[in-house]
Amino acid sequence: MKAWINGIGWVTPAGFGQGRQSQSPPLQAGELQIPTRKDLFARIDRRFGRLDDFSRIGLAAVTFCLRDAGAEAWQKKRPLGIIAASRYGCLQTDLDYLQTLIPQQGKLASPNLFAYTLPNCFLGEAALRFGLTGNSLIINRRDPSRLAALQTGMEELSWSEQCGILVGIVDLVAPPELAAEDDLPGSLFLLLETTPRSEISSYGELELQNEQLFFNSDRLENLSQLIAACLQVTASVVDGGEKIPDS
Amino acid sequence: MKSVVISKVACVTALGSGPDALWQGLLDGRSGIAQLQRFNCENYVSSLAACIEDLTAPLEGSRLDPLLEQLAEQLGEVPQDARLLVASTKGEIDRLDVSVRAGEALPQAVLFEPLLKKISRRFGLRDGGMNINAACASSTIALARSAALVAAGQAEVVLVYAADIVSEFVFSGFSALQALSAEPCKPFDKQRQGLNLGEAGVALLLMSEARAARQAQPPLATIVGWGAANDAHHVTAPARDGSGLFLACRAALKKAAINAAQIAAINAHGTGTPYNDAMELTAFQNLFADDLPPLHGIKGSVGHCLGAAGGLEVLVAGYALQQQMIPGTLGCEQPEDTGQRRISVAPQEICGDYLLCTNSGFGGINAALVLQGGDR
Repeated sequence: MKAWINGIGWVTPAGFGQGRQSQSPPLQAGELQIPTRKDLFARIDRRFGRLDDFSRIGLAAVTFCLRDAGAEAWQKKRPLGIIAASRYGCLQTDLDYLQTLIPQQGKLASPNLFAYTLPNCFLGEAALRFGLTGNSLIINRRDPSRLAALQTGMEELSWSEQCGILVGIVDLVAPPELAAEDDLPGSLFLLLETTPRSEISSYGELELQNEQLFFNSDRLENLSQLIAACLQVTASVVDGGEKIPDS
Repeated sequence: MKSVVISKVACVTALGSGPDALWQGLLDGRSGIAQLQRFNCENYVSSLAACIEDLTAPLEGSRLDPLLEQLAEQLGEVPQDARLLVASTKGEIDRLDVSVRAGEALPQAVLFEPLLKKISRRFGLRDGGMNINAACASSTIALARSAALVAAGQAEVVLVYAADIVSEFVFSGFSALQALSAEPCKPFDKQRQGLNLGEAGVALLLMSEARAARQAQPPLATIVGWGAANDAHHVTAPARDGSGLFLACRAALKKAAINAAQIAAINAHGTGTPYNDAMELTAFQNLFADDLPPLHGIKGSVGHCLGAAGGLEVLVAGYALQQQMIPGTLGCEQPEDTGQRRISVAPQEICGDYLLCTNSGFGGINAALVLQGGDR
């Protein structure tokens, strides 16, 4: 199975970004800033205000990714799916919800917070905003390479009629007692499509072969390697090697 | 494309332990929905749920632990090369609740990785597994993915393990959303007022037909079609037009290479909430036009078992195809107009080879499977 990487977007300790406007590596440890509505959308958006932090970083990275691919605007719904890998999921929202549940024995349990105690809910927010009708799910598994969502997404593309899929990672900063050494808080999504786009140059071709991922024929070991390779491609193809300042 | 069979099944529900207990309970019209004793419900809109009898958590454990033991004992030996797909919406949510109330440090068990490890180890699998979270369609999506893996030859055997428990965390949330019914739920009934939560564990072993034959494993059913689609409209409410469910069903029929007229019956999600059931009937009407096949839902008997719901319903669908009969829809005394003469509180005879199973969930996800009857 082969697919084109047509967009990349992220919210990480490195900042908010999209592939064609940045060459600095987005995956790094550190403080995570939660995006506000103004960081994403020009217009007032009450729905965004209701989102929990997990959904905000996930939705923001999806938005930047689609924007990077020139695919944010839509007229007709499109068969694009979303698969995100997460270690901690919406644990922080669960904890916040429990703080509304416990004190008055349920009397003040927040329906709004509860609505986001399923990690896949932000996928619905993304589907709603961007007219996505493909499959949408969150996966949890041990995955030091951070490639699980890409592999799952490639498999999904190979056996469905979806024309593309957004794949990525989403995690808030973990509670200290649960945090792992290799945690990288934030979210990052890639748009994989079965065809290249005419209006932009693709980052390159991703291939799944015998459960191994290859980018432009090079075998991938982890997500950081893939992103670094993609950003180099952008620098050389789009800007003749010159670096564009971060947005 | 390889043929994918369901070769072994196990389950525990409020109707008892084992697939036969579930099937017979459904045929007998029994309900596991009863007054909740697990926590105080005085501040909630309902005090009903379908809990598994005597399901208690061990010290520093979860109620999912005894469920895993029961399922492993029922299922027996599982090939070590089986891939593992788990479907749970909240995992060991009881551990999180207890830790927070006690002001203790959170245990690793609140994450999915330890749960996957526990399940994988208990079944003696080499694969570490993956949890799929797609709300109330989680196990249907897991089954669809498993079927696709086997059909494509990427796996020979897949164990789908789905479980969710009744917890105050989830119960209070559905209460706050005004989605619970104070009375036993009435899926597809004109007077339906909401859902009752349930809890269950279900395990389904899928394998290629050739592998099942080598292992002399008579199949319960064959999964011949699958599809999923999103029609997000609101974070917790379904799209009124049922467009996502329609797309998911259409994809499943196409994969199965059959037309809607060949479907002998439908096992619907049927939560008992006004919007969900209306959405489903709209989607089915669009799919089947004036030829809606017999339809049923089991949540009036076992409650809404969240991530385990789809797995249980597929198990029941396998039995239904073998016996050419679908159980009644408990609580549906006055079916909605679209379901007239197609939904009944009593079991209905069916005639045909294919059964459609559907589930929908928060976040706008919809999933559908087409099962073909097998010989047992």
